This record gives sequence, structure tokens and C-alpha cells, in this order.
Amino acid sequence: MATINSALNLITGALEADQSALNIVANNVANANTPGYTQQVPNWQENALVQINGIDLGTGVTETGPTSVRDRVLEERLDQQQQAASASSTRLSALNSVQALFAPDSGSSSSTAGDIGSDTTSFFSSFSSLEANPTDNPLREQVLSTARTLAGDVANAAASLNEQRASLDQEAAGIAGQVNSLIAAIAQLNTQIQATSPSTDAGTLEDERQQDLSKLSQLVGINLVTTENNGISVTTTSGEVLVSEGSSYALTTGGVSGETHFFLGTSDITSSLASGGGELGGYLTARDQDIPQVLSALDQFAYSIATQVNSLNNDGSDLSGTTGTAANPLYIFSEPGSVSGSGLSMSVVMTDPSQIAAAAQAKGSGDNSNATALAALASQGIVDGQTPSGFYSNFVTALGSTVSEVETENTAQNASVTQLQTMRDSLSNVDLNDEASLMQQFERSYQAASQVFTILNSVMTSALNLGVETAVS
Amino acid sequence: MRVDPNYVTNLVSALDAAQGREQHLTNELSSGVRFNSLGDDPIAAGKNVLLLNQIQQDDSFTQSTDLVTGQLQVADSTLGSVVSQLNQAISLATSADNGTMNASDVQSIGAQIAGILNEVESLANTSYQGQYIFAGGQTSTVPFSTSNATSPAVTTYSGDDDVNYLQTPNGQKIQLNVPGDQIFLGAKSVFGTLNSLVADYSTGTVIPAQAEQDTQALTAALNYLSQQRVTIDNSITQLSAASGAITNEKTQLTAAQTNLMQADLATVSTQLSLSKTQETALESVISQLGSGSLFDKLQ
Repeated sequence: MATINSALNLITGALEADQSALNIVANNVANANTPGYTQQVPNWQENALVQINGIDLGTGVTETGPTSVRDRVLEERLDQQQQAASASSTRLSALNSVQALFAPDSGSSSSTAGDIGSDTTSFFSSFSSLEANPTDNPLREQVLSTARTLAGDVANAAASLNEQRASLDQEAAGIAGQVNSLIAAIAQLNTQIQATSPSTDAGTLEDERQQDLSKLSQLVGINLVTTENNGISVTTTSGEVLVSEGSSYALTTGGVSGETHFFLGTSDITSSLASGGGELGGYLTARDQDIPQVLSALDQFAYSIATQVNSLNNDGSDLSGTTGTAANPLYIFSEPGSVSGSGLSMSVVMTDPSQIAAAAQAKGSGDNSNATALAALASQGIVDGQTPSGFYSNFVTALGSTVSEVETENTAQNASVTQLQTMRDSLSNVDLNDEASLMQQFERSYQAASQVFTILNSVMTSALNLGVETAVS
Repeated sequence: MRVDPNYVTNLVSALDAAQGREQHLTNELSSGVRFNSLGDDPIAAGKNVLLLNQIQQDDSFTQSTDLVTGQLQVADSTLGSVVSQLNQAISLATSADNGTMNASDVQSIGAQIAGILNEVESLANTSYQGQYIFAGGQTSTVPFSTSNATSPAVTTYSGDDDVNYLQTPNGQKIQLNVPGDQIFLGAKSVFGTLNSLVADYSTGTVIPAQAEQDTQALTAALNYLSQQRVTIDNSITQLSAASGAITNEKTQLTAAQTNLMQADLATVSTQLSLSKTQETALESVISQLGSGSLFDKLQ
């Protein structure tokens, strides 16, 4: 049969349980704004029944500790989406810098300085003007000056692109350090979690690990595998192991042909990182795919124009009747050796306008047929089978389409991230209203228990006073 | 059902997005251009390049035509003067051939024709902006010179027979010159016949058959020259027609390019106003909803 003592013990247990629950509420409220904190709920456990003389008697309640309310699957989905969103957003900002170099000409008289499309037209038109009066010096000077403008703008664009590539390279290299410190932290947390709570949710430690994983996801594309005893293995999207149980494998960087490459151990994983996602994926895609594509188109453009114009001019005869020879070529542009790099090195070498070969070979200086031929280059398929303007037009359309695609992708991914974030937050974030009402509940519960205690106390007093005349209070 | 306690944060990002849109629209309004970056409308950006290319080519051609028209007109009026000189020579020769003149009159006619020949030679050596227009491609050397070493004198041509053409943006070729030897020398040679006539009348005695033949040859040469002049006139006409057509084309293309690139101010203003309204609404929602929780009500 139950005793008053056992009832007192039982109620004391209840008071402790309520205190412990209030503690959890207080912890939630204190950490309401801590990033990565998941709200904790108290767990009530009825104590085991005791059988005395064939009667089952309850033994009260224990608060067995807080449980963090989290959905692992949801958080992993959020991280995956975050990887994609980071990648496309980084790539988009790199592409925005690239497309700013080729801003569309509005066509008004104050047109955009440095528009390669207009420069090309002006250059070839200067030959058309020369047709009318081939010996006129100002018209010849105009050919050279439009050539200089064109070469200058192409070279500047190529130089800017190279600079952008270098700065992307630097940013990418910086990420390796951040990644390494995060995976070291995760490995350590793995060890701690496996030691302290191998079969249940690890509470604050788990919060920390999740926070590190989220940060890592933003930086680089990763996949997670839950291992036994609450551990997590982290690999890159293409399967290279970064964290396994308590060990982490650091990324190292090294220079390869002037660019930073990333190594795990001895294998070069740069290209798989580029397609993996995260900021690093974005930087590497822009550095290794987008910018080289633009540069190579620019190089093709510069190479074709320079070589074709040089060749025609060399074959004609200039104002003094001289034709170009192998020893003394009549080149307007510096003759490029190969396609690669010809954008950056495009420049005008001719300084004397009388060397422009407006006349054909062996004709008088008043002949304009070579000037006509040079002007006609503008409508011939000299750049990869397209006219110079046609090539440039397709080039800007292709670049613009890439930017537009990445922008659309990025917007969609951001929307998805927001949605997942909202879902996660509604599950795991601290809601102050909830905490307030729980606090009320536990407060009342505590009051009730303490009231019961008081009554039990007076019952005890009565029991102690049984059969005695004087009352003990 | 639990809601996201941080939903006000989402409203703030919506506010950011609204402000971003506003900024973009304001840019459009102030620059008057529909898009400033390739990503906004890649196809239009590509078209813009092609349209501007054509417009600039047309512009450049229009400027060239002014220069060339001047040159052709000088050639035409020079040949006009040559024609009147030759007509005068023909009437002088005809009067000398009719046999009514005495020796000194015939000699004086010979001298007048020699004077006409000098005049025609200097007309044939006309230059325009420092270049000899009847020299073919050798425009920096004087094309015609007469040597009196023999009788009849010989006029030689030191130019060539090169013909220049001007390409129009539409692919037409317009002839810019007629070589001097084609006009003044050759089978129906102006200079040849004038020199012969001068020789015929120099002694004062007219050999009728010879003089008759030479006078008729001069007439034939004059007709031939007039035909060459037609080539120049045709070029002037063609040039004017091409210039008109190109100017029309340029106007149309400019309109197309403006349509492509210009911001539609009415639409932009409306969107800007809507965006501003949304921004204001979001701001007041955020300030209303962000306040308080149940904790404020508990005692």
C-alpha cells in the first residue's frame, strides 16, 4: 500500500520534472535567434509501476531530457538546393561582369564607347570611303585610325577577360581554406557525437554539425551518407571522400598552367568540382568554361580579320607603287602567329598611311580595286564562315542567352531554397508564442504539484499528530 | 499547423526584390533604352548589331557619294567645254575647206585650230582635288602632252586604261572615270585629227581631199567623244538614284533599330508606379506584423 512518504517522493519528482521542462523552455527562448538552433521539446516518461501486495502503484514522472525537433531529410534537401543556388548565383555574377564588356550600342549619336560591332563597321567602311578617292591622305589616315580603335577595343576586352579570370581563380583558391576548416570541424563533431549519443539525436552537437554541413554545402557540392552510430560521411558530388567517421581529407591547391587546380591527395579533382555545385562550382565553371569560350570567340574574330586584311593589303600596291614582300610586308595589323591569344595582341603596326594598298598590283596609284576588295571583306564569310558583323552578332546573342539561362535557373533555385527554408523553419525554429504557452503550462503544473505537496505535508502533520492531544503544525 | 516564425524575413526579401525591380525600371526610364545588358534580350542584342552595321554602311556611302558626284560633274562639264571647242574647230575647218579663202586666212585658221588644240589639251589635263581625272589609274602624272618635233605634231598619253568603280551597299557598281586614251585618242582620235588639221592648214595651201577627210574625221571624233560623255552622265544618274535608295533604306533601318532598342515610356512608367505601390504596401505590412508575441501579454 502506498504511503504518504512515497506520495511526497512522487510529487517531488514531479516538481523536478517541471523544473527541468521549464529549463528547456528557457533554453529555447534564449537561443531563439541562434543560427542553426533547432527547438527542443521535453520528453515526459511515466516511471515504472510498482506492485505491492498485488496492487499496481504508479511512481510518478521523469523528464528524460530534451529532443531536438528536426527533419534530417528536409535539411539535406535544403542543403542540396542551396548548393545549386550558390553555384548558379556565383556563376551569374561572374557572367554579369563578362557581359558588361559587350554592352549593346544604343545607336544614338553618342554611342557606347568601345562597342566592337560599331568599330568593325567603321573600319571596313573606311575602305569603302577610300574607293571614292584612293590617293586622299585624310581618308587613308581614317583607315588607320579606325583600325586602331578596333584593335584597341578588342585587346582591351581580351585583357579585361583575362583579369576577370585571374580574380575568379583567386576567389576559388580562397574557398579551399574555408572548406578544409569546416571538414575538420565536422570530423571532430562526428567523433564527439558517436561517443556521446550513438543512437539518439545528439541535440546541440547535432545542431553544430548541421550548421557546418550547411556552410559547407554553400561552398562546395557535397553528398552525405549517414553511417552507423550517428556518424556522417561527406563526399564531393562526384564521390571523392572528404570526411569519413573521425578523419577528414583536406583539399590542396596547386598551380597548373597558370591556374589554380584542386587536389585530394594526388588526384586532380578540379573538373569534377566545377560541375559539382556550391560557390566553388560556380567559380570554376565561370573560370574554366564561360570565360574561355568568350575569349576563344574573340581570338577567332581578331585572328580572321587581322590575317585577311593583312594578306589583301600585302598583295596590292601602295601609294608609291610598292607591293608587300616577305622581307617587307605591307601589314596593317601585327600578324598573329596563332588563333589563341590573337585577341589580346591585336594592334596596328602600320604608321604611314601611304602604305595602305588601295590599288591592285601593277596598277597606277589612282586605282581603287584593292580598296574595293578590302571593303568587300565585310560581307564575306571570313570569320569561321560568317561575316565579321554576323559573327559578332551571333557572339553577343550566345553570351546573352547563357546569362539569361543562368539567371532563370538561379531565380527558380532561389525560390526553391526559400520554400524549403520556410518548411524547415516552421518545423525547427523557436516560436515564441509556443514557448510562452508551454511556459504557462509548466508553471501551472508546477503550481499544482507544489499545492499537492503542501496538502500532503498537512496530511503528514495530521498523521504525526494522530492520538496526541497537542497539535503539531 | 506550425508556421515559419520568421516569415517577416521573407517579406523583407520580397521588399528587396521590389526595390531591385524599381531600380531597373528607373534605369530604363533615364537612359531611354529598353535594355542595357545582353542577358535581358539576347536576340534583340544580336539583331541590333546587324541593324547598326547596315545603317553605318549606308551612312558612309552617302558621304562618299557627295565626293564622287563632284568629281563626275567636273568630268562632265569639262567634256562639255571640249565639245564646244571642237564644234568651233569644225566650223573653222569647214570654212577653210570651201576654197574661198586666201593663204594667209587659211594659215590664220590653222593657228586658231592650234589654239583650240592647246585648249582641249589643257581641258584633257583637268585635275580634281589634285588628281588628273582623265589619266586612268595614273592620276598623279599629267596625262597628255604634245610634241611639235614632227609635222603633224603628236599628242601622247602617259596614263593607263584603268577604270575605277564605286560599290554601293546594295552591290551595284558605278563607273567613276573614263580613261583619257579612250576619249581623246584611239581609232577616232580627237588629238590626232586636230593635229592633222593644223598640219593641213599650216602652209596656207589646202589639199581638198586631205582636208575634207580630216574635217570629217574630226566630226566623227566629236561624236565618239559625246558617246563617252554619256557614260559619265549615266554614272551621275546612277549615283543619284543609288544615293536616294540608300537614304530611304537607312531611314527604314533607323526606325527599326529605334523600335528595337527604345524603352516604351508609357509601359515603364506604369510598371514603376505599380512597383512603388507594392513597396509601400510591403513596408507597412512588415511594420505591422513584426511586433510582439504572446510573451508581451503574460503577466
